[in-house]
Amino acid sequence: MFDGLRQKLQKIQAGFEQSITSETDEPAATSPESEKDPNLLGRVRVLITDRELVISGKDIEEPLNELEMVLLENDVALPVAEEIIAHIRKDLTGKRRKVGEKVDTIVLTSLRDALLDVLGEGFDLVGYIRTHERPVKILFTGVNGTGKTTTVAKIGSFLKKNGFSVVIGAGDTFRAGAQEQIDVHAGRIGIKIIQHQQGADPSAVLFDAVEYARAHHIDVVLADTAGRFHNRVNLMNQLDKIRRIMKPDLIVYVDEAVAGNDAVIRAFEFEKAVGADAVVLTKADMDPKGGAAISIAHTIGKPLMFLGTGQGYDDIIPFTPGGMVDDLLAGAA
Amino acid sequence: MLDRLGTSLKDALKKLAGKTVVDRAAVEELVKDLQRALIQADVNVKLVMQLSQAIKNRSLDEEPPKGMSVREHVLRIVYQELVRLMGSAGEVRLGPQTILMAGLQGSGKTTTTAKLARYFQRKGLKTAVICADTFRPGAYEQLSTLCSRINIPCFGNPQGKDARLIVTEGLKTMGSSEVVIIDTQGRHALEEDLIREIIDLNTLTAATHRWLVLDAAIGQKASEQAKRFHDAISIDGVLITKMDGTAKGGGALSAVSETGAGIVFIGSGETVEDLERFDPDGFISRLLGMGDLKALVERAQETVSEGEIDVNAMMRGKFTLRDMYKQLEAVNKMGPLKQIMSMMPLGNINLPGDVYDVTSTKMTRYRIIMDSMTGKELDDPSVLGSSRIHRIASGSGSSPDEVRELLKYYKNMKRALKGVRGGAGKFNMQRLMKKFGGM
Repeated sequence: MFDGLRQKLQKIQAGFEQSITSETDEPAATSPESEKDPNLLGRVRVLITDRELVISGKDIEEPLNELEMVLLENDVALPVAEEIIAHIRKDLTGKRRKVGEKVDTIVLTSLRDALLDVLGEGFDLVGYIRTHERPVKILFTGVNGTGKTTTVAKIGSFLKKNGFSVVIGAGDTFRAGAQEQIDVHAGRIGIKIIQHQQGADPSAVLFDAVEYARAHHIDVVLADTAGRFHNRVNLMNQLDKIRRIMKPDLIVYVDEAVAGNDAVIRAFEFEKAVGADAVVLTKADMDPKGGAAISIAHTIGKPLMFLGTGQGYDDIIPFTPGGMVDDLLAGAA
Repeated sequence: MLDRLGTSLKDALKKLAGKTVVDRAAVEELVKDLQRALIQADVNVKLVMQLSQAIKNRSLDEEPPKGMSVREHVLRIVYQELVRLMGSAGEVRLGPQTILMAGLQGSGKTTTTAKLARYFQRKGLKTAVICADTFRPGAYEQLSTLCSRINIPCFGNPQGKDARLIVTEGLKTMGSSEVVIIDTQGRHALEEDLIREIIDLNTLTAATHRWLVLDAAIGQKASEQAKRFHDAISIDGVLITKMDGTAKGGGALSAVSETGAGIVFIGSGETVEDLERFDPDGFISRLLGMGDLKALVERAQETVSEGEIDVNAMMRGKFTLRDMYKQLEAVNKMGPLKQIMSMMPLGNINLPGDVYDVTSTKMTRYRIIMDSMTGKELDDPSVLGSSRIHRIASGSGSSPDEVRELLKYYKNMKRALKGVRGGAGKFNMQRLMKKFGGM
């Protein structure tokens, strides 16, 4: 996964190294004469007293632009890409480098910091359920076709393997075939499902699911909902009603890794309308790049919980930001 | 966020206003803003770079045609280049055909299949669909439910495991139909066996069309995915779904440029009726977050004709209800007033905000009210007293308050125009008036 972005990042890193190296290595000899740098005196002083080198903004401009392009090409939304670049620029500019210290280390640390900064922390679902009162109610939201229903099934299967009892509330009462879809999933993974007929009020279905869980001492309620667009006021109100009625402990926003800049807009709108506590990013297997993960995590400011990586029930992996960043930057140092 | 984007583009265009020679710095700034707009709309980054280079070169090299301002010249180039990138709308033949639907998971193939069936059905063609999605639970139920609502025969087997078998049988059963649409399982380009399956389906059905369904929100990956699909079954039409969200559909452009196929339809809602033929101009406007560029470009290309409005009379401060009526009529054709104003070379003039504060429904109401006025009243609004207002109100089915509101709007407008005349050069004023008239 994310091979594309990783390779690109490595290339960029090489670019950084080159431009920083070329700047710092030779000026070691010539810098006292080097012109037009406002910090000339400071640089010289640093050079003499601390035997360190200062990286100037000008030197990293080129690779930074290149990095921005790489991020954009990988579906990191524009505002997010700009923020990452700003982070690195601020971090690197004026940084003192000890003579002999490897450039890699500086750049790598900076990139890692920037990425970790936007990715936030992961979310430990199992830990969360253990420490909270049962039943833990989890509501899934998102726009049409991102994979909410499949994700509900996968997480149901994941939780079952971790020893929890699970019930699914079939809250998608709108889309034709949605009931049959979740019914088959639930049957295959052996999870009880609470359903009404098509066209029923989803709030009622999910309320019933919660009541069932209470009565039967079930650990987790997974509440599926119909996909809806964030610019449909009535559908968003319906979602708000669901939230008021079932009082979920966690609201999980589901989006797909192939989404482009719109990911940011809709994530923001969902967060504003009903809130979100965690994010699941689906179809990560389609996207060898992985930029949407960065964008969404940054916009919502909520942790990524799982990555969906295929069509099987086991194709879901808990997300760890450190792991992803290491994965992205692996082999670079 | 979207508004800001449109604004920055407009600001860049504004800088070109009133310039007599093409200013390199301004063009560069415009191109930069354009790049941002397009990248935010998910257009492939490489395409954006090519496009902006072409726009820059042409803007600087080509001499603006006589009578066309620099701004109009650049705007026209932007528009032309975008149209070139987009190609024309894909052709949809109304005759016997087999259509194979392909696309990623969750892009909306099944819903679109039903919408297409409805489209062909309404065109009077005997239409049938085959559900070849053997993987996703509920896929057959979904399609058959949608089809039964619109009385379209749907062939499928929810227990079936082999899509090839189902399609063979389906084609036999549905043989008498003129249009057969085959819905397939969602797949992505990296799933080798599924790609092989769709190649087989294509050979098996000898499909007339192979259409790729793309989610409007798809990002930079669109181009790679489209390429693989194209390599496998040579896509000859692209459908963009979920255009009713906020996504701009720029990813579809990448697909168009990869496959060379035109965009055929746009899905814009959840019911089976929500399918539109693709309209390149509307699409470009949406990409850039600006109004109807084409209309404005065309307008710019026309030599400004003498309008029906007596510009000179207005220059003397004579702005009657009759003029406003014509103006409202023009606005009705063009879109919101604010948008038109922002496209016009007004430079730094700002009309008071409340002038814009009229919604299109209100405009229609106003026109109806004015229809109930006499010629004399239209020419000289000062004769309007309480009894005339009451007559107009009952004549137009409105309330006297509404008539008064109209008069207030008229007064505001008149004052605003006076302000323009006072504040700006004569040239601009005349232009503005002509634009209003010429529309």
